[in-house]
Amino acid sequence: MSLIDTINNLLKIIGDAVANLVQNILGPGLGADLIVMGLGALALCTVAALTFMAMTWAERKVVARIQSRVGPNQAGPFGLLQPIADGIKMFTKEDTTPTSADRWVYNAAPLIIATFALLTFAVFPIAPGVVGTNLNIGVFFVIAVGSASTVAILMAGWGSNNKYSLLGAFRTVAQLVGYEVPMLLNVIPVIVLAGSMGLADIVQRQTLADGNPGIPFIVYLPLSALAFFIAGVAETGRSPFDLLEAESEIVAGFHVEYSGMKFALFMLGEYVNTLAVSIVFATLFLGGYAGPILPPYLWLALKTALVFFVFMWLRGTLPRVRVDQLMSLNWKVLVPMSVVNIIAVIILAKVFVTSPGLQAANGGILVTPATQAAILFVANIAILLSGLAIVARRARVLRLAEERQLESRRQANRAAVSGFAGGAPAK
Amino acid sequence: MTISQILFIVIALVVLGGGVMVVTARNLFHAALFLIVSFFGVTGLYVLLDAGFFAAAQFLVYIGAISILVIFAVMLTRGVQQAQPANSQWPAALITSVIVFVIMAIMLGPIAVTIGDRQFGNLSWPNIVEGQTVPAVPDDSLVRLGQSFVDFNQYGAAFLLTAVLILVAMVGAIWVARDRTLKDVMEERAELAAEEAQEAMLAGPAQPALPVGAAQVAEPTAEPAVRH
Amino acid sequence: MLNGIPLYWFLLISAALFCIGLYGVLARKNAIAILMGVELMLNAVNINLLAFWRYVAPSSPAGLAFAAFIFVIAAAEAAIGLALMISVYRNTRSVDPDKLDSMKL
Repeated sequence: MSLIDTINNLLKIIGDAVANLVQNILGPGLGADLIVMGLGALALCTVAALTFMAMTWAERKVVARIQSRVGPNQAGPFGLLQPIADGIKMFTKEDTTPTSADRWVYNAAPLIIATFALLTFAVFPIAPGVVGTNLNIGVFFVIAVGSASTVAILMAGWGSNNKYSLLGAFRTVAQLVGYEVPMLLNVIPVIVLAGSMGLADIVQRQTLADGNPGIPFIVYLPLSALAFFIAGVAETGRSPFDLLEAESEIVAGFHVEYSGMKFALFMLGEYVNTLAVSIVFATLFLGGYAGPILPPYLWLALKTALVFFVFMWLRGTLPRVRVDQLMSLNWKVLVPMSVVNIIAVIILAKVFVTSPGLQAANGGILVTPATQAAILFVANIAILLSGLAIVARRARVLRLAEERQLESRRQANRAAVSGFAGGAPAK
Repeated sequence: MTISQILFIVIALVVLGGGVMVVTARNLFHAALFLIVSFFGVTGLYVLLDAGFFAAAQFLVYIGAISILVIFAVMLTRGVQQAQPANSQWPAALITSVIVFVIMAIMLGPIAVTIGDRQFGNLSWPNIVEGQTVPAVPDDSLVRLGQSFVDFNQYGAAFLLTAVLILVAMVGAIWVARDRTLKDVMEERAELAAEEAQEAMLAGPAQPALPVGAAQVAEPTAEPAVRH
Repeated sequence: MLNGIPLYWFLLISAALFCIGLYGVLARKNAIAILMGVELMLNAVNINLLAFWRYVAPSSPAGLAFAAFIFVIAAAEAAIGLALMISVYRNTRSVDPDKLDSMKL
């Protein structure tokens, strides 16, 4: 095996070596298998937790740059040891529980949020053949498990027995449950095109191979990618959709009462969820580990980093939206556009088929994959533009009405003031 | 005992323990959380039954949506968290439930019971022979499920009907839980229109003769178009 | 996965869950708790359907299809039921079904 192959398959080689080692020590059997699985899970969780530390550092640095600040620069070179310093601070802080809290609920919430955030990592394909478990319902699993964080946030909000926490929890229900809808709706076109819900199959469909052009799905489905990304930002509760913890309105939302390690677990859950959404986006729309020259796991890391960079960019740039704007964006813009998009994609994918076998079975027009991609791209952009045109028109009508109302109020003011100026009361 | 059996027993304890706590917990919020525990155990049962898709669907629908709705309803009605969890007929309810369970256990269980001249229990289902392994699930079982939903000779019509049902339920739920009736909305609009008419009447005659000192007071010109 | 688990284990656990739900429906005072009992009963039915699908007819989509329909029914039931409860609570400040007797003669 050449050096390049070794580097490309590094993770698989290491994994096989560890599995062999364990089996040599314990002898083949269920026990050895369980230990290998446990080690794999441990490795995945460790990587996720280390990435969490790196992400906090990167986010602080990038947002600082965007806002013309320096960011952490005291602990270690470029402040690289800042996450470790933060960790030590979290560990040594007093771990408090409010006296009126619902103890079990209060203490279980951070554990649940961290556990289910890490659970999603079981299905991400990191390189060909390197995956925790290759479920045939991978995407669905990720979104289903991701929905558990809502429960944890509700538990935290209720368990703290604090009205700001409870308000944060109420907002969570509206936001997270609401944005799950466009998230699922925008996964469906990808499933239709890939013909599978398994993440490995979806990556396979975007990989360069014979008969397969290796076009990432973002080219086929720019609208779905955009809507999925927006829904992802809202689903992870990050700026500009961080209404769950709007400091200026409800102090810090559901985690006001948490301190020390429990607070750190909430942060871990939040960042690991963000990482998971970045990986899902990279896998669904950017081709996952597929890519030339570089080893597959490096491609996945690069694409994930790119998506996370956009997350940070948004955080550094945009102000927080209002609650009503958040809801309007979801139910009046994202969901209708996604539904129209699903219908269009399903019809177009049925009419313009790429494989002769499908054409023989169901009819339709045989086109090359590139043509199919172009057709879907044009359809997506058309839906996006017409949707935006409708929204802009509606916004103009609303704004004009508002200005009229304002104008009439102004005139009423003037009338009242001029009445007083004449020396007699207006009414 | 195989590992599957141990897993089954653990999951069964989670499901049933959660269920018992749901119907006995004094605090309704805790009952809702135990409902989630029970649902989670059922997810495990589906995994044991090789129905991974349904396990994920159970997670998404029951844990991610229904139990959230239940918790939300508990929070919205938290003014009436009564101390007494059961009503006066609970002993009768307990006896009824136990009797129903005993009857079902006799019917479905492995022990043959003879009552009168009829024999119950120890049923033999088709395809299941003692000591034989369970038939494997075909790889394309989900594909077949999907095709049966669009095939009108199978469940196509039923699938469309459930789609209509869920749509009607959604609209109905919004309509039932609304806090303003249509009448309220109409009345509000009428009030608003009357107010505007009054304002216009007030504003009309005074328009041309604007005194000098009032101009600064009355002009909120640079007000941005932001509503709060 | 089903190594050594007979079908009746699943049937018994589903029967037990059904009866727990039944007790909840009959004995609880709060209408939301009654709805929780109904959810438990629907779950018991689903376990039954999927167990029979797995053991008796894994190659037919019937068991899966009916389980999927029950998911939809359960979602619709929860949405409507809880909306009714919230509406009732708004009007009467109570969610005790025994107190909703204004239509009694």
